[in-house]
Amino acid sequence: MNLVLVTRMALRDLRSGEMGLLLVALVVAVGTVTSISLFVDRLQQALMSESATFLAADRQISSSRPIPDEFSVQARARDLQLSETMLFPSMVFVGDMNQLVSVKAVDDAYPLRGKLITAQEPFVRGTATQVVPAPGEVWLDSRLFPALGVTVGDSIEVGLAELTVGRVLVTEPDRGGSFFDLGPRLLMNIKDVPATEVVQPGSRINYRLLLGGDEPVLEELRSVLELEPNYRWVSIREASPRIGSALDRAESYLLLGGLLGVLLAGIAVALSAHRYAERHFDHVGVLKTLGATPSQILFGFLNILLLVGCVAIAIGLALGVLLHLLIVELLSSFIPVVLPSAGMRPYILGIATGLICALSFAMPAFIHLKDVSPMRVIRRDLGTAPASQKVAWAAAVFGSLFLLLWYSQSLMLTMWTLVGACVVIVIFGSLAYVLLKSGRVVGMQAGSAWKLALSGLQRRRKENVMQILVFGMAIMLLLVLVLLRTALVTEWRSQVPDNAANHFVMNIAADEVAAVQNLIDTEASSGDFLYPMIRGRVVAVNGVPSQQYQDQVVENPSEQGSELISERNLTWSAAFPASNEIVQGRWWASDSQAAEASVELDYAEDFKLKLGDLLSFDIGGQKRDAVLTSIRKLEWESMSPNFFIILSPPALQDLPATYMTSFYLEQSKKIFLNTLLTNHPTITVIEIDALIEQVRSIVVRVTQAVELILGLVLASGCLVLVASIQASRDARMAEHALVRTLGGTRKLIGGSLAAEFLVLGTFAGIVAVVGAELTVAILQTQVFDLEMKLHPWIWAVGPLVGALVIVVVGLLGSRGLVNSPPMLVLRGLN
Amino acid sequence: MRAKAGESVAVVGTSGSGKTTLLGILAGLDTATGGQVQLVDAQLHELDEEARALVRGKHVGFVFQSFQLLGSLTALENVMLPAELRGDRLAQEQALELLEKVGLADRTDHYPRQLSGGEQQRVAIARAFASQPTVLFADEPTGNLDTHTGEIIIELLFSLNEEFGTTLVMVTHDERLAQRCGRTLQIVAGVISNDSASQISQQGAGS
Repeated sequence: MNLVLVTRMALRDLRSGEMGLLLVALVVAVGTVTSISLFVDRLQQALMSESATFLAADRQISSSRPIPDEFSVQARARDLQLSETMLFPSMVFVGDMNQLVSVKAVDDAYPLRGKLITAQEPFVRGTATQVVPAPGEVWLDSRLFPALGVTVGDSIEVGLAELTVGRVLVTEPDRGGSFFDLGPRLLMNIKDVPATEVVQPGSRINYRLLLGGDEPVLEELRSVLELEPNYRWVSIREASPRIGSALDRAESYLLLGGLLGVLLAGIAVALSAHRYAERHFDHVGVLKTLGATPSQILFGFLNILLLVGCVAIAIGLALGVLLHLLIVELLSSFIPVVLPSAGMRPYILGIATGLICALSFAMPAFIHLKDVSPMRVIRRDLGTAPASQKVAWAAAVFGSLFLLLWYSQSLMLTMWTLVGACVVIVIFGSLAYVLLKSGRVVGMQAGSAWKLALSGLQRRRKENVMQILVFGMAIMLLLVLVLLRTALVTEWRSQVPDNAANHFVMNIAADEVAAVQNLIDTEASSGDFLYPMIRGRVVAVNGVPSQQYQDQVVENPSEQGSELISERNLTWSAAFPASNEIVQGRWWASDSQAAEASVELDYAEDFKLKLGDLLSFDIGGQKRDAVLTSIRKLEWESMSPNFFIILSPPALQDLPATYMTSFYLEQSKKIFLNTLLTNHPTITVIEIDALIEQVRSIVVRVTQAVELILGLVLASGCLVLVASIQASRDARMAEHALVRTLGGTRKLIGGSLAAEFLVLGTFAGIVAVVGAELTVAILQTQVFDLEMKLHPWIWAVGPLVGALVIVVVGLLGSRGLVNSPPMLVLRGLN
Repeated sequence: MRAKAGESVAVVGTSGSGKTTLLGILAGLDTATGGQVQLVDAQLHELDEEARALVRGKHVGFVFQSFQLLGSLTALENVMLPAELRGDRLAQEQALELLEKVGLADRTDHYPRQLSGGEQQRVAIARAFASQPTVLFADEPTGNLDTHTGEIIIELLFSLNEEFGTTLVMVTHDERLAQRCGRTLQIVAGVISNDSASQISQQGAGS
């Protein structure tokens, strides 16, 4: 067949609607992938750049050792932005006043991302600045001013250096939400550090190299540098686990949604290609009698497919771009106006998806055409060789696998999807078969429309099992996405409830507690806890001194970050702390008189601590022993303070402690902090309201993205339903036309069609609900790390919605079937 | 059986007697489980589908009971198909000429569904002769038409057959149609029970 002929036939098929569904299915596949990846690409870039302000950079390299020059050289060679900082605790002195502060020394490039906010007087909002403290100058946290009794212009001693107070530091980007980054901040120039002489062997210093630049370059740098085990590579995921995990889950969800959308569209492509091919069997028969060879047929129809594929890709890409622009426009209030433009990847992904869908889902049906016997022309009852069914399945499975793997770039997600699909097909197939079989028994006693419907269902049992499978899969995938979306959004929202405490107060002396609490109650709503805090260290385990014990049990000491003997914050509590979970042992009775201890799971594992171990503590020179009676798991993502070690009240309560509490303060009442700190200059306030606000806005955005994907996939799902109903249309049409010539009324046909779709839809719904519960359970536990939950409501809703949707779509799709004169149908089929 | 060039053969028999199967095998649409078929100079039983298709394209034309026009192509395009499949450049001129011969010069741009049954069959006949076949196979060409239209079609078929000097093999139920052919094969249960040609030659030999 020459190209002119091929093009003519393709265009005619397009115009006559024969190709319509195939084209739409391909367009949806390409459009879904393109718009999702365009949007995800840009959203990711936007979120990353926003999240980067948490690090003051795109990446950090952090270590307790000086960062080797080699690292900077390598980074500079790649045109990355660099900044060096140092963090260390130090005492500062002004006259006889002194205070422990947390010093951050920075160079002129700091910060690479985000802004420094400074002011000329303490406890005001401040403005952004482009500079850092000049050599000889320090910027102090507001609360240091009352604590040290200084004003701007005074000089203070940091180590051996005498420096001038230049400005009030309101906030810096990488302040972090750590509860134990104790002491208010002092920002100074890194050039002054040598003069302070605080850097001595053994002093606790954190060196950081801040990096800014393009993602691939950063990742490449990471692979080149020898970081392990002394240098830690920090991205937003490690720096802020709350946001990191929200991003991770959202990414997984978007990926999964995109995948399911493509797979659904793929099913629609396969179904409509199958129908197209079936309707062209006679066509091919005629061509063959006219002398078309099998290879001409193959070449011709593959060219038609290629042509349609190209048209679909072009439309799909355009649609994808438009759709993603629409989304960006809709979400513009949440996304910075200047979104970085997406790269080529989404387009390439879209084109490839179109080609792969056409190749693996549509081509088998097209290849099959060459096997059509020319005898069909004179003998209509002649079927076609069934062998290529296997080819079709193999091609579809292979194509899906390739798409899954390439698109998700995650072997695990692909394997789970594959296993799920296999299980689903086997279980669903048998379930649908059994359901259909039981349908006949019920049908025996039913009225005539029902009888007609059920006999139809019985006669085409194989096709109907397939159809229930396809319907069921489509409904199931949609249910899965809806359930997961709800689970994710609920989980995210619960992390930052409205009115969650957004300020923490530490270092409250015992005799100040009542006064501080009163003050808080007047202006803010109080948090739900008040913890005593005592600094102490574990000095022995079962009588073995800590250092010796640690050397014995820890196999690889060089990789062990923390030391058993390090000083830690201890607390005592009779009540079990919320957001903790006991994994071994039991929590002590509230009236327990014994000295008991409870430790965090990772801590216990790091130091091989077991229930029943006797822990000895040194608290300000006092010795205390406690028996380990429980091991807890902490929810690190919750916005509440977490303690590695908690003791029972008898073990600690007689020792002097400071206290920690929390409160919720509205943005407009921030000045209250001034009152609080002026009245109680020694307490420490940690503000996490900005952090909470940021987390919340990211959650809102990600939720919207997730909902959008859900909408797109819904569209693919509907397409599958339509394609599937279309695919069985011819068989139904012939049957019902026959019934009508035999005297069946339109009412009977309509009723029987509705009954048929009702049964198919209900069965598909049942199958879908079973599948959805299983899949969601697996996904929640394996991929999203959420708790498994059953959803009783979908057991009622699933079959109902399935039945309703399929009856409506089905009846709309076969309108012509009921209304057109039977002669026309029979003649058309001839 | 053997058919000479230019001969017209009618194959008659009851439903299920094997007429259509015979037609399929003779035309190279189907393969037989045994025996040999020679079409012009091609040994059809030795060829695969690819090669048989080439033989069909070169030597064979078809007219079917149900017309078998491609619904997505116009009358002209349907008639052009055989030549286009062969890669013939003059397809259009030749097709227009044929359509004129079957009296459809003014309906070239119509799609099959816009034509009556008789008109559709005339397009099919034009298409059958477009490949300038050596043998024309016809399967109940008037089966879907009323008597009057049927007669017109028969006239057309035989006159073109004469003009092109084509061998005609026709499966039919129609006694009158069979009588117009030079030779009649009667098939009963898959076996040729009566061949008018052999009777004549036997009679000739006997007389």
